[in-house]
Amino acid sequence: MRKLSICAALFSLALCGVLNAEEAMSMNAADKAMYAEMSENNPAAMDVAEGEELFNSLIGQEAYAKVLGVSVKELPEMIAGFPRMLTATPKYDFTFPKTMRKVVTLSQSLQMALASRDKKVFKLKDKEMNKMTAYVKSLANDLKTNIDVKANKQMEEMVVLGQKIFEERRGGRGLSCNSCHSADIVGSRLRMQELPDLGSKATASASTWHAYRMTQSAMVSFDKRMQQCMKNALLAELPLGSKEMVALEVYVTNLGKGNTIQIPGLKR
Amino acid sequence: MRKMIMLGIATFLGAADLSRAVEIPDATAILLKDALPAPKLYTMPKGCIVDDTAAIARGNYIFHNLNGKDAKENPPEGLTRLLPNGKEKQMGNCVACHNIEGAKGYGNIGPDLTNYKALYMDSGVRNGQFLYQQIADPRMDNPNTHMTVNLANGLFSEREVCDLMSYIVSKK
Ligand code: HEC
Ligand code: HEC
Repeated sequence: MRKLSICAALFSLALCGVLNAEEAMSMNAADKAMYAEMSENNPAAMDVAEGEELFNSLIGQEAYAKVLGVSVKELPEMIAGFPRMLTATPKYDFTFPKTMRKVVTLSQSLQMALASRDKKVFKLKDKEMNKMTAYVKSLANDLKTNIDVKANKQMEEMVVLGQKIFEERRGGRGLSCNSCHSADIVGSRLRMQELPDLGSKATASASTWHAYRMTQSAMVSFDKRMQQCMKNALLAELPLGSKEMVALEVYVTNLGKGNTIQIPGLKR
Repeated sequence: MRKMIMLGIATFLGAADLSRAVEIPDATAILLKDALPAPKLYTMPKGCIVDDTAAIARGNYIFHNLNGKDAKENPPEGLTRLLPNGKEKQMGNCVACHNIEGAKGYGNIGPDLTNYKALYMDSGVRNGQFLYQQIADPRMDNPNTHMTVNLANGLFSEREVCDLMSYIVSKK
């Protein structure tokens, strides 16, 4: 209760900061205090716990491991390597015909797992899916992302496509992701926001989303966060799960390969 | 034998069903519609830079605001918060990357445009034509520029680009 009211006070302070442009530097004193407070008690931990309940009641680790073609023990390492292509799984009941060998995100693999259990398949944008994916990703906490973009032809294609999407100028202002996140520009200031180096240890984008976004008071997934940049910069939002969006996730994840997974993250 | 076949079918169906469960929307049309025209050369229209206060006020407003909806102050004469089609009018948000006289919360991705006329125009390093092209389509000068494209993609009209120029070179 006490924590809650402090948060509320800090939030309104942060809002006042936005109104007063001079004070709204990317991390002012109020932001920093809020960050310190929340890193001890990340509000998104509750979403992850709800995700755990959903996952256990609808799928369970055993059934999920089966869909991925690994043992329960191997699950965390497997999860740390998404997005990835699911191949044939001779050990178990499922074999995937060639036509469906696609690179999928963690959420998409959960859609398969739900279907394998004859459960309602949540949409990628559903809050249940958001929470469940966050929980499943957190099973790989403390491991390093181990995406393998050379694993097969499909992954090789996806990382190339992802880079193309990342660098393609488009939309209302003719910007690309690279306009703001290329190596020669990170650290500069857009308005009062420092441009983050997505792959660096400090930012570690791919391994720290799902994160609680303080400016939105909600847990946001990695692909959703990328959509938010598109929206802000007037690029048409790529739909979640589209080949191009998955490719973007492959590319950006690979930029930060080897960073430690820490779900839920905490971001501005 | 029969059991084997049944199992085979079950496996096949299981796999087919799983593949169908994955949501993979097609983004091709979205990307096509969002594409940017090729870089283009422009010629500055006659009478582009003016010292008309209304033009300078519009340039000022476009420079410092992101869009009509979020703007704190009402737009000056000749600019509206919404477009005729009801969508919000996008402004330049140049201040996100450039400092200039009186800028609040400016970024530093682009060069400081403070005292631009005296430093760059009067000294002869820059002229109106350069300025017009830079704002209209900066890809001609630098294909890898980090700056926004403003005329080639229809974000602004010719007059609005001139308004921005009139503001940048005005006495502040
Ligand atoms: C106009 C500038 C701009 C463009 C274009 C842009 N971004 Fe960003 N991006 C930012 C800024 C600024 C931040 C940091 C915002 C903050 O701290 O709240 C950011 C943050 C991010 C983050 C979160 C970093 C973290 O904290 O982990 C991701 C991921 C990201 N961008 C991906 C993308 C992708 C993908 C694209 C292209 C589709 C893109 N961005 C386009 C400016 C931009
Ligand atoms: C996302 C960043 C960004 C935004 C937004 C932006 N610029 Fe720029 N601008 C730059 C960069 C970077 C340069 C340096 C040239 C280059 O690298 O291509 C530049 C260069 C310029 C120059 C040339 C300066 C000189 O004499 O060399 C002018 C003029 C200019 N910008 C005006 C504007 C105006 C007007 C707007 C708004 C409509 C704007 N800019 C928006 C990044 C930006």
